[in-house]
Amino acid sequence: MPIDHKRINGPEITIPYQLFDKLNTKSGKSQFKDFVKSNGVRIDGRSANDHRKIFLKTGVVSQAKGSAYIELDKTKVIVSVFNPREIPNKSEYSSKGEIYCEFKYAPFSCHKRRLHQQDPEELQYSAIMKQALESAVSRHEFPNFQVDIYALVLHNDGAALSAAITVAGVALAHAGIPMYDLITSVTLAVQGEFVLVDPNLEEERLCQVPLFKDEQNTNHGIVVLSMLATHEQVSQFYQTGNLAMDNLTSAIETLTNAAKDIVVLVKKCLVRHVIKSARNVED
Amino acid sequence: MSKNRELLSKIGLRLDGRRADELRRIRCKLGVFTEPDGSAYLEQGLTKILAAVYGPHQVRGNRSKAQHDAAVVNCQFSMAVFSTGERKRRPRGDRKSTEISIHLRQALTAAIKTELYPWSQIDVYVEVLHADGGIYPACVNAATLALIDAGIPLKEYVCACTASLANNDVPMLDISHQEEIIGGPTLTVAALPMSGKIVLMEMSQRFHVDHLQKVLEKALQGCRDIKHILDEAVKSHIQDVGSSTGWANTT
Amino acid sequence: MALCEAEKTFVLHGVEENFRIDGREREDYRPMELETNIVSHAFGSARLRLANTDVLVAVKIEVDVPYPERPREGKLEFFVDCSANATPDFEGRGGEDLAVEISNSLAGAYRSPEVFDLTKLCILKGRKCWKIFVDILLLECGGNLYDAVSIAVKAALWDTRIPLVKSVTVDGNNIDMEVSEELHDCQKLDVTGAPIMVTVCKIGEQCIVDPSAAEELCSVGALVISVSRNKFSTILQTGSGSLHPQTLLECLQTGHKVAQRLHDALIETLVDIKPSENSVGFLR
Repeated sequence: MPIDHKRINGPEITIPYQLFDKLNTKSGKSQFKDFVKSNGVRIDGRSANDHRKIFLKTGVVSQAKGSAYIELDKTKVIVSVFNPREIPNKSEYSSKGEIYCEFKYAPFSCHKRRLHQQDPEELQYSAIMKQALESAVSRHEFPNFQVDIYALVLHNDGAALSAAITVAGVALAHAGIPMYDLITSVTLAVQGEFVLVDPNLEEERLCQVPLFKDEQNTNHGIVVLSMLATHEQVSQFYQTGNLAMDNLTSAIETLTNAAKDIVVLVKKCLVRHVIKSARNVED
Repeated sequence: MSKNRELLSKIGLRLDGRRADELRRIRCKLGVFTEPDGSAYLEQGLTKILAAVYGPHQVRGNRSKAQHDAAVVNCQFSMAVFSTGERKRRPRGDRKSTEISIHLRQALTAAIKTELYPWSQIDVYVEVLHADGGIYPACVNAATLALIDAGIPLKEYVCACTASLANNDVPMLDISHQEEIIGGPTLTVAALPMSGKIVLMEMSQRFHVDHLQKVLEKALQGCRDIKHILDEAVKSHIQDVGSSTGWANTT
Repeated sequence: MALCEAEKTFVLHGVEENFRIDGREREDYRPMELETNIVSHAFGSARLRLANTDVLVAVKIEVDVPYPERPREGKLEFFVDCSANATPDFEGRGGEDLAVEISNSLAGAYRSPEVFDLTKLCILKGRKCWKIFVDILLLECGGNLYDAVSIAVKAALWDTRIPLVKSVTVDGNNIDMEVSEELHDCQKLDVTGAPIMVTVCKIGEQCIVDPSAAEELCSVGALVISVSRNKFSTILQTGSGSLHPQTLLECLQTGHKVAQRLHDALIETLVDIKPSENSVGFLR
């Protein structure tokens, strides 16, 4: 791991105290049963198919051309979009514009402190974000230019990546970057026969390993899907874990429906912003 | 000092059973890859090197590097992470790799007829798959073969060889990794064998200047021998390629 | 490489007629050559040549301390190096983006315990474990890198011999390990679950498998599907286009079918490989 020379670092080898916590010695399966009851009702009262309540706000960063903030219950992500600028380090002309995405967890956002530099997981998520947003943006409108999109997760309580993609779409619209469609993104977690839409952090963590091996059901995993609702196009698809074909098929259907449901909220937020700016112009 | 005695036993055999003036077995192949303009694979003992040549082509990146009267030769030396006994953390970018890249460029620029390609760039990339001593000479030899495969005009073959001194008076040829570690000076010489010109000479450790002449002679003899081996390989490769297109036997 | 519109249309028409530019059908792979046990310093190695794509994988093993939150598991680390031999753009740090992408997707594919069981690498719970370094060297890029890399990694892991630990003695903080010196006294890894990645490209209305470099440029969207024991272990959408959910499903089905075939063929080949004294390597 690269050392940060600008700050005073703590000791290099530290072990989080939670490991010594006596309460942490429950098996994965019983931990999961605490979070999801057998009838599919989760610890916060949601059913398996319910998305968390979303709060969206535009115009939160004044220096950026466009910015937006999203809250998925406890998950908080803020995205800023900057004016198109010349692509650095490039001498040939490109007829399509470029998007540069940076996804970063704030050091205080996760259980374990994150470094200030991007680690491989964040680099991968940046690439996934770029993949998602590239299809939504009309790249031929700004040839030879690059639009910078920076996403910062202030608190990670699960589904940070899909929250970042959704709010990045809102920020791009706020910035006035020409787009083909509104983009929304949803995460799905699978564990055994439980399929949970928009998992929180604990549910996500518990779906990384198979917990129902004794019941012969070793399906587990996380699926992230981003969609352009009106055009019915999936612009980004990412899956990890171990899923069978039928689980995946039903997962895709669940995700596409959930993504279409969120579009209404995105539209409402953007319309509110337009009305507010129209009122400001009038005054 | 006592370590030197182990390098050459009483009956004149080295650690790997060779005599003092024997080269390690050299096997090579030209035209290993299709994408580069020229490529070559060379094995010298257990050291395995892959070389690829791109060019001559327009100067990439910084246009101001271009010269009006000669081609720019750009070399990169890289070692695979698994090439050494202990796994390397980074394949290139460290000081040793940069130094070897510069030495490689020095050796090759002396042999390539750069005046034929003004405003152009020739890229030579060398990858070490297995390191067992004598890495730099093997790289130079592999790069020469790759340049020939690419059809770039050379004044002469560039061959390189290492030589050392055992028992304080017997010169040895072609040092392997074990012999390097045990101790003893190593003289690396890159030369144009036929004309006898030296393009690079480098030495580690030290020995008395009286011995320099004979160690240098040994190294140059080694270069000449390597040239013969490489020449054979080039001729048989051209024969293969030529006969498959039908011009080996023109009447 | 750049293709003009006419060339792209030509490729498109070929794909629609199930006759691609090199004569293959949509679900055919190009001929492959696989050689194992080439790098002598490594504990396992493999070289795969898929038409113009050349990948060399070496596996090295070290003794390490397991992560405190997972005391019974060993470690598996991937490192991808794009050699400048492949293209001058990879000089210096130019190939780093591609390298990071490939190593991240491999790490994601091998993450699930169903795919690769890390508990087999444990020597002493919480104190010592094996760490496997899988080092991938890309020597030439002729399209379809993910497939070639995943097959070569699987073959290299198959070829890997982990020395057998004869005894472990614990004396306070000192841990002494005795490792068997015999060459044949080794533990092999279970790679039947190791995933095979298949790149499925959508060109026009059809999906093709194993795109060449030219076909990759004509595709509107591509999926990298990693299949292990009949289940999907990771799926990434690459390329700069979007897909209809129906097309997505079709691509997944195609990829799944092809990956099964590829896996069976690979296991058959690996079982048949006989250890030979003279490894040919690059000399042929």
